[in-house]
Amino acid sequence: MNSPILEVKNISKTFGNIKALDQVNFFLEKGVIHGLLGENGAGKSSLMNVLSGIYIPEEGTIRIKNTDIEKMNPDIASSLGIGMVHQEFRLIESFTIKDNLTLSKANIFLDNFEEAYEKYSDIFALNAHYETRINELSVGEKQKVEIMKLIFKNSDIMLLDEPTAVLTPQETSQLKNSLEQLSQEDEKTIVLITHKLKEIKEFTEKIFVMKNGKMVARSLDTKNVDDNELIELMMGEIKTSIFEKNNAKGPVKLETKNISLSNDDGQVLLNDISLSIKSGEILGIAGVSGNGQVELANVICGIERSFEGKVLINAKDVSLKGVRSRKKLNLSYIPENRLGVGLAPGVSVLDNSAIKEYFKSSYGPHLSKGKMVNYLSDLINQFSIKAPDEKAEISTLSGGNMQKLLMGRELISNPDVIVAAQPTRGLDVSAVDSIHKLIINQRDNGSAILLISEDLDELFKLSDRILVLYEGKIMKEVEIENASIDSIGLAMAGINE
Amino acid sequence: MNRYILSKKLYRNELATFYSFLIGFFIAIIVGSLILIIQEKNPIDVFSLMLKLSIGSINSLSNSLNKAIPLILAGLGISIINSVKLWNIGAEGQIFMGAIALNLVYINTSIQNPNLYIILLLGSGFIGGSVCILIPAITKVLFGVNEIITTLLTNYIVIGITIYLINGVWKDPASLNFPAAAYVDESVYLPIVVGKLSSGFLICILFTFLAYYIKDKSVFGYEMRIAGGSELTAIYAGISAKQKAFFAMLIGGGFAGLAGAIELLSQTHRVSTGISQGFGYTAIIVAAITGMRPIGIFLVGSLFGALTIGGSVIQTIGVSSYIAEIIQATTLFGALVAQFFFSYEIIKKGKNV
Repeated sequence: MNSPILEVKNISKTFGNIKALDQVNFFLEKGVIHGLLGENGAGKSSLMNVLSGIYIPEEGTIRIKNTDIEKMNPDIASSLGIGMVHQEFRLIESFTIKDNLTLSKANIFLDNFEEAYEKYSDIFALNAHYETRINELSVGEKQKVEIMKLIFKNSDIMLLDEPTAVLTPQETSQLKNSLEQLSQEDEKTIVLITHKLKEIKEFTEKIFVMKNGKMVARSLDTKNVDDNELIELMMGEIKTSIFEKNNAKGPVKLETKNISLSNDDGQVLLNDISLSIKSGEILGIAGVSGNGQVELANVICGIERSFEGKVLINAKDVSLKGVRSRKKLNLSYIPENRLGVGLAPGVSVLDNSAIKEYFKSSYGPHLSKGKMVNYLSDLINQFSIKAPDEKAEISTLSGGNMQKLLMGRELISNPDVIVAAQPTRGLDVSAVDSIHKLIINQRDNGSAILLISEDLDELFKLSDRILVLYEGKIMKEVEIENASIDSIGLAMAGINE
Repeated sequence: MNRYILSKKLYRNELATFYSFLIGFFIAIIVGSLILIIQEKNPIDVFSLMLKLSIGSINSLSNSLNKAIPLILAGLGISIINSVKLWNIGAEGQIFMGAIALNLVYINTSIQNPNLYIILLLGSGFIGGSVCILIPAITKVLFGVNEIITTLLTNYIVIGITIYLINGVWKDPASLNFPAAAYVDESVYLPIVVGKLSSGFLICILFTFLAYYIKDKSVFGYEMRIAGGSELTAIYAGISAKQKAFFAMLIGGGFAGLAGAIELLSQTHRVSTGISQGFGYTAIIVAAITGMRPIGIFLVGSLFGALTIGGSVIQTIGVSSYIAEIIQATTLFGALVAQFFFSYEIIKKGKNV
C-alpha cells in the first residue's frame, strides 16, 4: 500500500456531552473511491467537517500529503486540495454555470476555461451551455456543477455528502461512471458519504464504517465484503424486518377517477389520475419529488379543492367535501412536511397530538383538557413516544419521536384509508424500522394505504403495487412481483419501455 | 479561544414570564430612581408618596383600579388577537370607536329601564370596537396586508373622526367652546361599587375570565393556537386559519371598544378627546409583559393603573408624571430582555475554535 494522501489519528470531538467523534482513525489512498457508511448521527458529517477545517477536534493529529497540520481551518483545507459537496447545494442560483465554476480564487482553468468545461461536462454528461443560469438546471444537473466546482478549484480530495439523495436511478449510475473516470484519469481521491448500502457497494473500492462516533471498520475491500457484514457493522443488533406480502385484500376503500389539476399559471400538475386501493393493500407511489405526489395527496385528503375528477372513499363520492368530512370517513393523512404541515411549530406536544380528533374532546364550544391528556398518554404508551412534557414545544422532540407522534395520532383510530407521504425521510434506521412496522401492522388491520416515497427500497419492501408518477401522469403501474428497480427507475425518468 | 453561541432551551420555566416581569420592574424602579436623583429628588420619598396616593386608601385604590379597566380590557383584546400571532396596535382607535358607537346609539334610542339601557350601550361599544378593526381584518384575510400597519393607521382615522364629531354635529352648545359631545344622562352612569370604584371593574373581571376561557379552554382557542402555529397545519387539520384570524380580530377589537364604552359611562360621561389617554398603547405593553396571559394582564394592568395615578399625583411635589411612563416602558424592556434569557442559554461551543 502506498502512503496515504490523508491520514487522521485518534480524532475526538464533543458537542455538549455527546461524543460526535471518539478516537477516530481514518486514511485515504490517492486515486481511490472510498465509501464512508453509517447511520444518521454516526459521525460521518462531523468527520468530514473536521477534514474540511470547519470543526476543530479536541484531540488527534491530521496529516495531509505528508505534512502535519498544526491548526486546521477551511482556507488551509482548501489550499491542500480538500473540497466538499454538501447536501444543500452552495451554488448562486442567478449566476451562470461559468460564473459559479470560476468563482473561487483558486480557479485553475482561467485561461482555458472552454476547453476544460468541454472535457468535464463530457465526463459528467452535462448537456448545458456554460452560459446557462443555475436556476434553469434540474437538481441532477446542479449537482454535476457542484462537483465540477471542486475540480475547477483544484481539489484532489473530494468529499461528497449523500450525493445520490436527489438523483433518479439513471442519474445515479451516470454519477458512478463520472466518478470512476475522475478517479482513474485525474487520480482524484473521492469519499462518498452515505447510509445507502447498495450504492456503497456499487461505487466504491474501499469502505469505512462508522457507528456512534467510532470508526468500526477501516478500509474494507468492497469486493470481499458482503451485505450482512456491513449491516451488522453499521447497525449492530438491529435487524430490518422482511415483511410478508401474502396479505388478505378486501373491498376497494379508496378510488380516484380521472383526477386533473392545474395551477393558476395553467401548468398541469396532475393529469388524468385514476387509481384504486383495496382494504389491506399498500399502493406505493414512486417518482422524483415534484412530479405531482404532494398534489395527489392533497386532492385525496381535501386540502386541494379545485380539481377535476372524482375521489371516492368507501365508495362514497367525497369530491366536493372538505378536510373535516373526509376525516370523519376515517381518512388519515401523514404529510411529507412533518413540522409545518403535520405538526404546528411553536405549539405544545399536547395541542399537536389532538390535531386530528380534537373535536372529539369537545362539548360544544368547550374543549376538555382531561380528554386531550388521556388521548396523548394513550398515544405515548401505544407508540412508545419519548416526549418530555405535554406542555413542551413540539420541536423539542427528536425527529423520530415527532414522526411517531404524528403517525400515532393518525393511526390510533384504525383508519380505513391512509395517505402517507415520505413517512421515513430523515429518520435513522431504527426509527425507520418501527415506522415500517406501524404501516404493515395497519395494512394487516385492513387499511387501504397510499404510500408516497422517494426511497425505492422502502417502496419495494412495503408495497403490494407500485405506481410511478412522472410530470403528473401515471407512467407505470405494476404489481410488486413483476416490478424491477430498473424499469421503475426508467419510468421515474419519464421513459416507458 | 472559545466561541459562545445562543441556544434555545428545551424547557422553559413555567414561571419564567413572572420572574421576567419582576426583573423588568426592578430594573425600571432603579432607572426611575436614577432619574429622580438627577433631578435632586429623593426616590424613596417620591415612590412612597406614589404608593400612598395610588393604593393607600379606598378612594385612591379605586381610582387606580378605574384607570386599570381600559388597560386590562384592551390588553385582553390584544392577547386574543395574538393567539393567531397577529398584533393589534389599533386598541387606541378601537377605544374611541367604542365610545362613538355608544353615543350614536344613545342619541338615537331611548329605553326606560336604565340597566337594560346600560347593557345595550356597552354592547354597542363592543360592536363599535369590532367595526373599527373590520377593515384591517378584511384586508388581512383577503389580501394579506400587514395588520400592524393597518391597525396603527386606523387610530389616526378614528381620532380624526372623533375630533370632527365633537367639533361638528355632536358639539354640545352647553360646553361653551370646549369641543365635546353632550353628556349622557345620569341614569346610564355605571353604578359605583365601593369608594369610587366603578362597576366597570366587575365587568373587567368577568371579561378576564372570558378571555382566559376563550384562549385556553375553548375549541375556538385551540383552533386559534393551531392557526397561529402554522397556517398550513391549520388547513391540514380542516381549520380555516383565515376565518380564525378574522374572528379573533373582531373579538379583540370588541374588547377594546368595550373599554371605551366603560370609560364613557364611568369617567368622562361624554365623547371627548379625553376618552383615552394612550390606554390603547399602554395596553400593548401590558399584554407583551405578561406573554399574552389573561390573568397576568389583569394583574399587570392593575399595577399600571396604580402607576398612572401615582404618576399624576407626584406632580404636586414638582415631579413630572412622565416618571410613571418611564417605569412602564422600562419594565417592558427589562422583562423582554429577561424573557429572552429564560428562553435561551449561552453555551460554549468547541474548545479551541
